[in-house]
Amino acid sequence: MQAGILSVAHIHLEDGSFTLFWVIVWWAIALLLISAALFWVRSVKKTDNRKITLAAFCTAAAFAIFQVSIPLFGGVHLNLTPLIGILAGPAIGSFVVLIINILSAAIGHGGWGMIGANLLVNVIEVVIGYTVYRALKKIFTGAFIRGGIATFAGLFCGNIAMIAIILLSEIQGVSQSKSQILAGLSLLAGVNMGVAIIEAVITGMIIAYILRVRPDMLESERP
Amino acid sequence: MTTTTLSDHIPDLNLITFYAETRRSCFTVMSPWTKFLLLFLIICLVTLSGNIVTIAGLYCVILAAYAGARLPLRNLFAWYALPALFVLSFVGIMAWNEPGIAIISFSVAGQSLVLTDNGILLVIMLLLKALAVMTYSLFFLMTTRYQHFSAMIYRIFPSPIDQIFLMAYRFLFLTLAMTGSILKAVRSRGGGLIHSISMQGRLSAEIFALVFIRSFERSERVHKAMIARGFSGSYSTAVEVPAIHLYEYGIIGICATMVIVVALNDTAVGGLVTL
Repeated sequence: MQAGILSVAHIHLEDGSFTLFWVIVWWAIALLLISAALFWVRSVKKTDNRKITLAAFCTAAAFAIFQVSIPLFGGVHLNLTPLIGILAGPAIGSFVVLIINILSAAIGHGGWGMIGANLLVNVIEVVIGYTVYRALKKIFTGAFIRGGIATFAGLFCGNIAMIAIILLSEIQGVSQSKSQILAGLSLLAGVNMGVAIIEAVITGMIIAYILRVRPDMLESERP
Repeated sequence: MTTTTLSDHIPDLNLITFYAETRRSCFTVMSPWTKFLLLFLIICLVTLSGNIVTIAGLYCVILAAYAGARLPLRNLFAWYALPALFVLSFVGIMAWNEPGIAIISFSVAGQSLVLTDNGILLVIMLLLKALAVMTYSLFFLMTTRYQHFSAMIYRIFPSPIDQIFLMAYRFLFLTLAMTGSILKAVRSRGGGLIHSISMQGRLSAEIFALVFIRSFERSERVHKAMIARGFSGSYSTAVEVPAIHLYEYGIIGICATMVIVVALNDTAVGGLVTL
């Protein structure tokens, strides 16, 4: 399943894109989010060892699947962040995307300094994916539709977050005005949203399949 | 392509681990903490410096260290595909209409698009920054033993993130091998010949769902086995990470000074090579 062209549902920022100030700002916000998730898992909704083992396998599976190129439209790589939210929930899902971001940075898929900004985008995708999937429970009974809409909503919000982060931080070396940058980013976001539709359809199918075979796997199906 | 190599343009974790465990050089005896601090300094430098000569020099030094450690260069260049794609898809759009000397210009739907020298420099600069950090990251991974990474993760991250990280790192190789096996099975049954978009989409979705389901089932088995062996919720590591040697403090000190001097100099000088 190899392909020449690559596409992903959203891009990961590389090191050197932002100034040191913004690197620190996004890292600080990301650490706050992770601390809130840690507090939730440790104090509010105590997590058992079984769930930790599951999260570890979820991390490994998501990282492995990212490496597979789907032979559609020249080759598509999926991020699966909304699916992680639906499977593991927002708190554990945040840990999973943190680890995936670190592993990804280690192999050049996104920068180390950019983990804060990338994590922020991913956490938004995880939380929106989980929330929309649960919220649609009363409206749609089909897991495919719910999963697809939740994934698209998650990736859409992630894209908006990415554009907002880039507009606020500004790319080092780019001397264009914010409106010019926005025009360029809109083009990129348009391409990303096209890939997001593919990811939404495939995630919908994955969730429908999992619900048919192992419904107990889905955290968002629990009361 | 091994079972664990799912894509030629993404670093092969099995190959990386093989080099980390078997290849010996002066870099492998260095403390992992030193290499970690050097990574931090490199990130600081690429973030602070806007001088293309400095960044190109940094990239060459890192590449020389990578080659000096007798790590695979051909694989490295193949693995550059993904960061290059990210930089080009991201900055490639913004490189147009940057102020400077026009090199290419044309109009699309009444809008004029101009690619200037500064636009090209911008792309090269961010590409070099991304590749410099990526090359060093891979150098770090390929010259540090798995047990030392585990010990570092255990010391850096709070619980339960460290537990998830350690187990995920351990399971990653199993999951990659399992995914590779599933893909091989699909290809051997003619899965690669399907041209219908809907069929390909459904097939990919079922493969991915199967990876998650098998991972889930394996995690249940592993968890039960761990409980049977006395697992109480803490996946601890007993290995000590080699401490930083005295000469390594010297290396860190020199590098830190260089980062500060270069960053201050690049900020103050400006000019044609400074973006």
